Amino acid sequence: MSQFGRVKQWNTFARCWHLFDATWQNPLQCSPLIEKYLKGLHKPIYHPFVDCGDHVVIMNSKQIAFPGEEWRRRVYFHHTGYSGGASWTPAWELHEKDPTMIFRKAVYHYMKGNLFRRVVMERLHIYPDSNVPEEIMENITNQIQPLRPIPKTLDSYSNEEIEKYPKIIDYPQDYLLSK
Amino acid sequence: MLSLRTTNCVLKVLKTARNEQSFHRWLAPTLRELKRRKDSQGPEKPVHRKSFLEWNYDSEIYAFSKRLGEDFNNDLLLKAFTERSYIIDEEEKQKSVGIEQPTLNLIDNKELVAKGSEFIDDIVKRYLRTVLPRLPEEGIIELHKYLTSVETLSHVSYHIGTPELILCADFPVEKLTMANVLKSIIAALIESSGENRAAIFVRDFILTQIADKDLLQFWDLQHPIKLLSDILARDNIQSPEPRLVGCSGKNTILACFRVGLYTPHNKQIIGLGVGETVDIAHEMAAIDGLRQLFGTPENILFPYNLELEQLCASTDKNLSVNEWSQKNLPVQPTNFELHQVKMTSSC
Repeated sequence: MSQFGRVKQWNTFARCWHLFDATWQNPLQCSPLIEKYLKGLHKPIYHPFVDCGDHVVIMNSKQIAFPGEEWRRRVYFHHTGYSGGASWTPAWELHEKDPTMIFRKAVYHYMKGNLFRRVVMERLHIYPDSNVPEEIMENITNQIQPLRPIPKTLDSYSNEEIEKYPKIIDYPQDYLLSK
Repeated sequence: MLSLRTTNCVLKVLKTARNEQSFHRWLAPTLRELKRRKDSQGPEKPVHRKSFLEWNYDSEIYAFSKRLGEDFNNDLLLKAFTERSYIIDEEEKQKSVGIEQPTLNLIDNKELVAKGSEFIDDIVKRYLRTVLPRLPEEGIIELHKYLTSVETLSHVSYHIGTPELILCADFPVEKLTMANVLKSIIAALIESSGENRAAIFVRDFILTQIADKDLLQFWDLQHPIKLLSDILARDNIQSPEPRLVGCSGKNTILACFRVGLYTPHNKQIIGLGVGETVDIAHEMAAIDGLRQLFGTPENILFPYNLELEQLCASTDKNLSVNEWSQKNLPVQPTNFELHQVKMTSSC
C-alpha cells in the first residue's frame, strides 16, 4: 500500500467524537439516535463486522425527562442470584443513586444483544452534569441535535424580563397574587 | 410345533439380517486409508502440461497468437519461446543417448530479448512523457523502472499464458525467464506486424499496469515540504503556510489530523493531507501539493488510445526536479486534449 493509501484509510476509519446534551430529553426516544452514532450506522462504509463506530459523550444526564407517570411506574429489575435476591427499583430511586444509569440502560437495552454490544457501549461516555473533563472535551468535533426543544421555565425569567412582559390587565392594588 | 405366524416372524428377522445395511461398511475406512497414504507422500509436485498425452505444442503456439489477436510469424514466435537453457539441455540429452554431434533446428531468443527490451524502454518512456508532460524526469524514470521491472513483466507474461509454452530447463518457470520471453514476444511482433502494432501491444499490456496505481508511490520523494517550497520559490511564490484544517479524537491513540497548505499571497489551498500526527499530515499535504503541480492526481485517467505516431520523440525529455517551475513548462497538449483529439479523429 502506498503512503497516500495508508493515510487515506486512516482518515476513513478515524473515530469522531459527538456531544449530546441530555437536558429535557427522553432517554428511551434518544437511544436509537445515540445507537446510530455508536455503531457508525450513519457512515457509507458501515458493515456489521467493520469496527467503524464513533464515540458519544452525553452530558447533563441528570436533567433527563420522562413522560407522565414514568418515573414512578418504570421499574428496574435486579437479581443477586441468591434466593430472595430479586429487587425492583423505581426509576426515580435509581436516578437518585446514579444519574447516569437510566441513560446507559436505555441505550444498552435498545441495542440488539450480541458479542459487540459491550464493546460498543465502551464508546458511550455519560456525565451527570456539564462538568466533562477537559481532555474529553478536546476530542469532540460534532454536536448531535437534541430531539426536543428545551422549554424555558418560569424560574429562568429574570425580574427585568417579567417587568417588561406585556400585560393585558392591571391588577387592583389590594389583589393578592401569592402569599 | 411352530405356528405359521411365528415362522413368518423368524423369516422376516433372518431376511433383515441378510441384507443388513444400505451402505458399504468398507468404503469409509478405505477412503481414510487412501487419504493417509496420500498425505504421507507429501504435497503433489507440479507437472508440466506437456507431459500430458494430448499436448500439441504447434496448435498451442497457434492458439496463443490468435488469443492475443495478433498475426505472428510462427517461426519467430517459436524462436521467441526458446530459451538458451532448453537448447543446452536437449543437446546434453542427445549426447547421453550417444549422438556425437547433436543437431537441433532451434535458435534461442537472446537477440529478440535485447531488441524487445530496447523497444519496450523506448515506448514506455515516450508514452509516459506524452501523457505526463508535467511530471519531472526523475518521476518518469522511476515509473519506467517499475513498468519494466522483472516483477511487472513476469506478471504480465504469466497472465497472457506464456509459462506452459516456454521451452526452458527450469520448471516451474522462473520470473526472469517469463519477463525475457515477454520481451522477445514483442520483438517477434515488431518483425511480424511492424512497430505500430507492437507499440499498441506494449500500451495495452504493459502500460495498463499503472492504471489504478498511485503514481507518486513509485517515486520516493525525500523531504517533500522542502521540495514544494523550492519549486514555488522558482515561481516567486512564498513557501506555503500550513494550517490545521481539522482533527478528530485529538487526545486518543486513533487521532487524525488534517493539514492544509495555503499560499500566503492569495490565501488559496494548494494541498490537503491527513495523518496520525500533525507532521505526517503536513508531509502528506506537501505531497498532495506536488501531485497537483505534477498533474498526477489520485483519480488520473490515462488516454489508453494513443498510437505510435501520437507519442513524443525519443529525444524529448521532461524537466528535471531541480529546474522544474510553472514558467519553464513546455507548451504540450494535456491528457484530456490528447484524448479528445483521438476521439474526434476516430468519429
